[in-house]
Amino acid sequence: MGIEFAWLCFLFPFAGALLSPVLAQIHPKLRDYGAVSLSFAAAVSSVMLIPYIFHPSQLPIESSFVWLTTPIKLKAGVLVDSLSIVMANVVAVISFFIMLYSMGYMKGSRSLTRWWMWMNLFIGSMLLLVLTNNLLFLFIGWKLVGLCSWGLISFYYKDEKEYCVGGPPPTQYRTPSHSGLKALIVTSAGDVLMLGGMLIVYAYAGTLNILELYNTSSMWITEMAQTPGMISLVIVLLLAGAFGKSAQFPFHEWLPEAMTGPAPVSALIHAATMVKSGVYLVARLIPIFYLGYWVAGCHEALYFFIIVAWVGAITAFVAASQGMVSLELKKVLAFSTVSQIGYMMLALGVAGLTPDNLVEGYTGGTFHLMSHALFKACLFLCAGSVIHAAHSIYINEMGSLRKYMPYTWLFMFIAALSLMGVPPLPGFWSKDLVLISTLHVHIYPLFLVAIITVIATSFYSLRFVGMVFHGKESENIATMKKKGKHLGEAHPIMVFACGALAIAIVVVGILGLKLEHFLGETFGDALERLHLTIVHPESAGLFVPALSVLTVLIGAVVAYIFYISRKMDPARFLEKRLSLKAIHKFFWNRWYIDDIVYYKFFVGIVTTLAATTPKYIEGPLNKVFHGFIPALPGGIYNIIKYMKTESREMTFNLLYIILLLIVILFVMFFLEGAP
Amino acid sequence: MIPYILLQIVGMPVIGSLLILITRPKLGRKAGWIACITLLYTTALLFLVNIRVYQGATIFEEYILGSLVNVNLFADGLSAPVALIMNICSVALAFYSLHYVDHRIELIYGHVDEKTWILYNTRFFSLFLYFPAGFMGIAFCTNMISLFFFMELLTIIPLYFIMALFGYSDYIKRTNVALMCLFWGVGGATFFLIGIIVAFTQTGSFEIASLNALSGNQLVDLVIVLIFISMFVKLAVFPLHVWMPWVHAEHPTCIAGLLAVYANIAAYVIVRVLVIPLYNDLQVYSIPIMLLALITMVYGSLFTMVQHDVKRIAACSTISQISYSVLGIGALTVTSIEGGMFFFLSHIMGKTIFFSTAGLIVYATGIRDINKMGGLASKMPLTTLLWVLGAMALSGFPPLSAFVAEWIMFTGIFKSGVYGSSTVFVIAILAVTAIVLTISYTFLAAKRIFFGPLNPDFENKEIKDPPLTMIIPLLLLAVVLISLGLYPKFLLELFDSVIGLL
Repeated sequence: MGIEFAWLCFLFPFAGALLSPVLAQIHPKLRDYGAVSLSFAAAVSSVMLIPYIFHPSQLPIESSFVWLTTPIKLKAGVLVDSLSIVMANVVAVISFFIMLYSMGYMKGSRSLTRWWMWMNLFIGSMLLLVLTNNLLFLFIGWKLVGLCSWGLISFYYKDEKEYCVGGPPPTQYRTPSHSGLKALIVTSAGDVLMLGGMLIVYAYAGTLNILELYNTSSMWITEMAQTPGMISLVIVLLLAGAFGKSAQFPFHEWLPEAMTGPAPVSALIHAATMVKSGVYLVARLIPIFYLGYWVAGCHEALYFFIIVAWVGAITAFVAASQGMVSLELKKVLAFSTVSQIGYMMLALGVAGLTPDNLVEGYTGGTFHLMSHALFKACLFLCAGSVIHAAHSIYINEMGSLRKYMPYTWLFMFIAALSLMGVPPLPGFWSKDLVLISTLHVHIYPLFLVAIITVIATSFYSLRFVGMVFHGKESENIATMKKKGKHLGEAHPIMVFACGALAIAIVVVGILGLKLEHFLGETFGDALERLHLTIVHPESAGLFVPALSVLTVLIGAVVAYIFYISRKMDPARFLEKRLSLKAIHKFFWNRWYIDDIVYYKFFVGIVTTLAATTPKYIEGPLNKVFHGFIPALPGGIYNIIKYMKTESREMTFNLLYIILLLIVILFVMFFLEGAP
Repeated sequence: MIPYILLQIVGMPVIGSLLILITRPKLGRKAGWIACITLLYTTALLFLVNIRVYQGATIFEEYILGSLVNVNLFADGLSAPVALIMNICSVALAFYSLHYVDHRIELIYGHVDEKTWILYNTRFFSLFLYFPAGFMGIAFCTNMISLFFFMELLTIIPLYFIMALFGYSDYIKRTNVALMCLFWGVGGATFFLIGIIVAFTQTGSFEIASLNALSGNQLVDLVIVLIFISMFVKLAVFPLHVWMPWVHAEHPTCIAGLLAVYANIAAYVIVRVLVIPLYNDLQVYSIPIMLLALITMVYGSLFTMVQHDVKRIAACSTISQISYSVLGIGALTVTSIEGGMFFFLSHIMGKTIFFSTAGLIVYATGIRDINKMGGLASKMPLTTLLWVLGAMALSGFPPLSAFVAEWIMFTGIFKSGVYGSSTVFVIAILAVTAIVLTISYTFLAAKRIFFGPLNPDFENKEIKDPPLTMIIPLLLLAVVLISLGLYPKFLLELFDSVIGLL
């Protein structure tokens, strides 16, 4: 066992990013295998950290070196504790499968060197983010993840129509370069606010080291509490970063459009990297604010949990509602990611709302992150294969694909069942824990939103499975068949990657309950070491599981009737009911949040302000400095010349004489006063 | 140790310039290389100086011209690294110029015979070398008259003549731009001259060190204000920035990076002449300076956003970028000043990359309007990479050093905001948020220039990445930026040996 593996974990992918252009000069194959094998090395390194989890007494371990001494002291290094081990494994292992898949998916694609560089940099940055021991390097990973997402979302930078998302008209299309820029700007807006929050924390705590922040938190939080509003401000700033990256309400609109990237990118962003970073940050910060409220008694610290819980719940519902009507396969999955991350946030939020809910909520959020990573990676990779085969991004242009792609159907179906929360798949266990912990805080509106979202989730999951694989062939598929185009399973390596993930889902599902208990104990142990009062969850009875299965069934039955057995036509059903139609339109237009919050508000204000600068500020200033002032000497000269000679007025000459006399008098007085 | 090492660093470029003029009949087209070699030599010397200073020494060389005026040169933890980075930018641009000047001469003067061509070419390089000479002089001199002399030297010799001979005339005639630049430069410096004369009436000396004695004097505020006005003209602080879009954008791009140095070096002068000797007297100016910096930062970014001339984008971004270093210095804490100086160095390197890349685009396509571009990434991949690196440098993305600089600077500002005035705290939060504007305009320009479908006008044109002698120097600058970002310890320890004493 060695702590070195934690270092290697992110150094391998970084090396991969640097080596890709070098290896490409030797042979393209070498470049491809090199990139994937370095990501494999990262996965192995992360797996090598797992034994530490079984020896919790040794944790946390830190290994660092002095990076900077003046004017700020900072030791850069890695922090290995149960949270970082779990996160590193989720990131590295799933990323490896995605890299493997992309060997098939990107075959023959142009600019593969660029592709591998971005992918490895992405994975490396995310691993740096989760493994580092201080907030600065966490932020470095954070920024790099944002940059990589820009590079990968706009990977098809030529903006060919087939890579655009959105539509069909009148809904606007969004080009890859537009979506990439939007993702970068929206997440960066969160980033800079978060940087502000971190700097305030540093100003009070005097350290950026995570463990030191934990250990001294009761002191610096109390000091912070002496300025009213300061803790709330820090909470808002820090959470802006987390919500931006994790696509939480109201910053969530960049994520659905990030679908312009190739399918492996979507899988990477949604399952392993990027959007999970916000959840990770919130989990990292929980001990600080928990201590601040429940131990140090600073009442503002509670806002952290309230905001996280409510934003999580609202996002879960808003996004799920949009997923119910979306027609693009990857977009449905994107909305589902936003919604599922909302669940994670909800669990982490309720963890601090009562003193005995910490372990349950914390474990629920993290466990859901793990299981979501598995099934969402599988869903996206399968979606990639399906889109590849059907040559369309719209689910209404697919249909009946089950007979052509039986394996992909099976894998995607398993993953979708897990997303719905069907027992005994991992999604069921983790969502169950989220719901139980939400119920424990007795804020029933939160629980109600969560339960309604379960219905929506189950509905949209079965909806896309039905529309893609079941029912009648769409026109698009029929024409493809007529033209004799290949309709079938994707490249074997892609099928393998999907299959491996599907098997992992089933295995984790079977071991689900055990894993849940194990995680609960591990995290409980880790939190106890931070001197937090820990109450281990008791078994909650069968109410929540039964309710969750029931709600899943409600959604599933409706979706089954509409989209699998096709006993009713959803379009005709909608046609007759005006209120439902209005709701459908509202959801289809994404609650108008994209339009109003992003385009009208942010973009609108900035561009209007920018547009006024040349006319109202720069122009007048230019006139003063480059027109008026240079013209002054000439102007004065002209006036004097006019008065002196051209006006032929006697009075002016008299004026000159008087002025001259005054000046002479002044000079005389001045000289007299001088020593 | 090499004798007269600092004198060599300041003087060698001047000798190189004369050498170019003398040898041009013989060397012909190769004369430009003399500039490159001279600067490589002085860079090597500067490395030695930095190592010496890092080991704890300071270097002082005495060259007395009269009882009041001297050209004494002094290298410490502040001047040595500043000089080194400025020189590195000059070397990179000297190599970049080798091809760029060809292009400019051809564009302005058409196909000329060999002799005339060499005349113009050598004229450029002999003028060019006065830039590093002036920069090094400003960095090392200890006397305010010689400081003034070096500042004027920069304005009058290289800036004015290169502008007048090789500039662009897209909006107004290049000779007019040259005049504008001369007036603003001389006008600004005049305030400095008046300031130091007022100080002289009180202290009887023109030595920078003697300004210490001014502390608490009744005229100290007058001196401070005069010098600030002069420096704000150079730093293009709102509303004294109006010369920047014209002058900075119409220069031949091969010196645009140096113009950023020319402007931003005033931040160094402020630290040397005002902050270090008059630290206590400056405290009242802290908040007004920070406010001005914040206004300039936001205004500069917004103004950049509406530009559609690729050179103007780069030029206007300088306005807002310089203000970050002003903000750091304005906060007047050790941490923020060190961060501000670090940001100054990162900015000049980043701006050299960014602006020179704009030059590469103009070089390759012949147009400046980004509305007529689009999709160039497929034709010019290396140029795209450079633009993204420049954008990353300006918007403070790790691992480039601008990120570390911003972080250190804002740490200082936030600390003084948390424990001091709430105005500072509000300014700090607004300023940190304003970074998102920089990200917006740099990456938005990247999208409009390089991404999207290729402009049909370019389809049949032979457009490709410019020659490697133009690209490699910029890539190497990016390597320096990344190295400083990964290992900022060296530079910051140097700074701390001087600024840490405050």
